[in-house]
Order: sequence, then structure tokens, then C-alpha cells
Amino acid sequence: MFMAALILIVSTGLFFFYLQAVCQKILRRQFTQEFFQSIVNANRLEFPSVRKAIEDFGSPVEYPRLLLTLKCDFLALTYLLKNAANVNQRYSYEERLLILYFKLVFASLITCHWLKLRETPAALKLTAILEYFANVVGERVNTVRFGNLTASDYLLNL
Amino acid sequence: MSLTGDQLLLYGVQYATYALEVWVFVSLVWRGRWRRLKGLGLYVVSLFLLDGVARPAVSNFFGQTSRQFFYFYWITDVVFALGAFLVICGFFRRASAHEEKLWKVVRLLLIFVPPLVLGISALSLTRNYTHLRHMFIIEFSQNLYFTCLVLNTLLYLMLQQLAVEDDELGLLVCGMGVQFAGEAACFALYHLTAANSMAKVLTQFLAPCCTLAMLWIWVYAIGKTPQFVSARFRLGKNKVLVEAVAD
Repeated sequence: MFMAALILIVSTGLFFFYLQAVCQKILRRQFTQEFFQSIVNANRLEFPSVRKAIEDFGSPVEYPRLLLTLKCDFLALTYLLKNAANVNQRYSYEERLLILYFKLVFASLITCHWLKLRETPAALKLTAILEYFANVVGERVNTVRFGNLTASDYLLNL
Repeated sequence: MSLTGDQLLLYGVQYATYALEVWVFVSLVWRGRWRRLKGLGLYVVSLFLLDGVARPAVSNFFGQTSRQFFYFYWITDVVFALGAFLVICGFFRRASAHEEKLWKVVRLLLIFVPPLVLGISALSLTRNYTHLRHMFIIEFSQNLYFTCLVLNTLLYLMLQQLAVEDDELGLLVCGMGVQFAGEAACFALYHLTAANSMAKVLTQFLAPCCTLAMLWIWVYAIGKTPQFVSARFRLGKNKVLVEAVAD
């Protein structure tokens, strides 16, 4: 009985560990160029500044603002993922997995704040997910052309 | 014959699993990774043939509640676990391709694993001889899957330690981890609750879902990751020249 209980606990822990590892591996995907910058500029997303603040000062400046910023960027990017230059108008499986992962990390960020633990690792993970989403949107948008301009150039020149 | 919602869901997961097994195999062939991942290909083919063809055939022939089907089901389950163990051995070989000394140690460790699991399970058999039909097979599968999970985790740690830049292998190992962790947890729960009806239902759904997750991760690994080409392979004949220059 003791052995079975031990196996149950360890296996459950490792199950979530491997799922997290899969998400991290997906996020490591190399894009041919940094597509996210044009999407960030066109949509005035704030996650790069959050990341910069964390990297420069070691912690996010204001907690309520951090939550709001990440949440708004997430909503904007998931909308774009589904609707911008997406013929199928639906998320791919890896996008669904990463959306779920974002929600779980977001919940862990809130929990860390309640327990007065360090929030920066969770916040950095969230910005990495948002950067991936922005890269995917940028890559898609980049394939659509309006005359001599790419869609992202077109958006920037509006 | 009318189907309940649970049965429909179970059939859905089952057929999605078959479809993904075929998809993994087709991706391997289509993307030309069949040669590098022969073990994985054979494992997927055996999964499809045993789970998708042989099990339904035996079930139809002898009946789903028959003793023959029961034994066939659990024996094929042990075959899957042993097949997965061999796939992990192949991954260990690939991960330690440039570390011959390490591979010798790992190989020794891997040789001792199946007799060890058999020994532990035989020990439990002598204690629970009266429950042979049910609990021994469950405990043996649970131990085998958990051992594979531990090995898989060692492999994952080894990949991190050696800083192997092979995303495809990393994802394949993670997929295996999801499958083993899910299966081991299901069997442990089943064992702990003494085959309680709730645990039975949970196991019935969770185990195929874990297989589904593993296959999806493999499809992603084969389809989306760039093909890893080792320096040795890339250099070909010039390797000898490079080594000579290095000397």
C-alpha cells in the first residue's frame, strides 16, 4: 500500500512536470526573425516593458499593474492568434496547450503574491509565452502581403 | 444498441488514438525520419496492430468478459511496457552517442532493470498468491511503468546535464514521460482503491488520454522540430581529417 501511494504521488508530480517541460520546449521554437516586435508596436502591447523592468530592477514595479498588463496583452494576442491571418479561425493544439499553461502560470503568480513569495520567475514565464504568441501572429501576418508591404508594415504605416 | 455518453467519449478517445498512431507513422516516413527513429516507428506500429487490431479481434472472438480476453489484454499491456522500455534504451543510446564511457555504465544499468522489476513483482506474488488473477498483473504493470518513468526521468536529466541540443529527442522523451506518469498513477490508484468502481472509470479514461497526449507530442516533435544532425554525421568523411587536425 505504501509503495502504491508513493508511486501515485511521484507519478502525478512527474506528469505535470513533463507537461510543463513540453510547454517550455514549444516556447523554445526558433523563428526566422523577431516577428513579435512589429506586433508589439502595432498593438501597443506592454509585455516587453514588463520584462525589461524585471530584468533591470529584479522585480515587477507594481503588482496590480503587472496583472492588468499581462491579462490585457494575453487577451489581445489570443484574439489575434484566432483571427489575424488565420484561415481556419481557430487555435492550433499547441496554442491551446500554451493558453492553458498561461492560465496556470498566471494563477501561480497570484498564489506567489498571496504567499509573499518571489513573483519574478512566473512573470518572466508569462512574458515568454506572450512573446511566442506575438511571434506566431507576426509570422502569419508576415506571409500576407498588401502590394509591396507586408501586413505588419501596412499596420505600422496606418 | 444505444451508446451512453461515457462509451461515446471512450470510443472517441480510442479512435483518435488509432488515428494519431497512423499519423505518427506517416509523419516518420513523410519527413524521412524513419531511419533515425526505427525503434519508435516499430513501437507505434506494434501499438496499432495490438491495440487497434488484435485486441478487438480477440474481444470479438472470445467475448469482452472472457478469461482469454482478460489475459490477452494484460499480456499485451506488459508487451507495450516492455516495448516502451526498449524505445527508452534507444533514446539513451542516442543521447550518449558521443559519450562511450557513459553509455557503457547506462547499458549495464539497463540490463539489470527487467530482472529487477520481475523479482520485485515475483516477491509480491508470493505474498498475494490468492489474488493472482487481478492484483499481481496490476502490480506488475504498475511497477514496470513506474520503472520506465524513473528511467525516462533519468534520461531527461541526462539530456539536461549533457546539454544535448536535440529538441526532437527532448520532446519525444517528454511524451514518453507523460504516458508513463499517467499510466503509473492510474495503476497505483487502481491498486490503492482495490479496483474501486470510481477508480476503474477514471483509469479507463485517463490511460487512453495519456497515450493520446504522448502521440500528439510525438507528432509535434516529428513535424515541427528541425531535424537534429550531429556534427559527426554532418562532417562525414572529413571527421577523420578534423580529428587528425585536432590531435
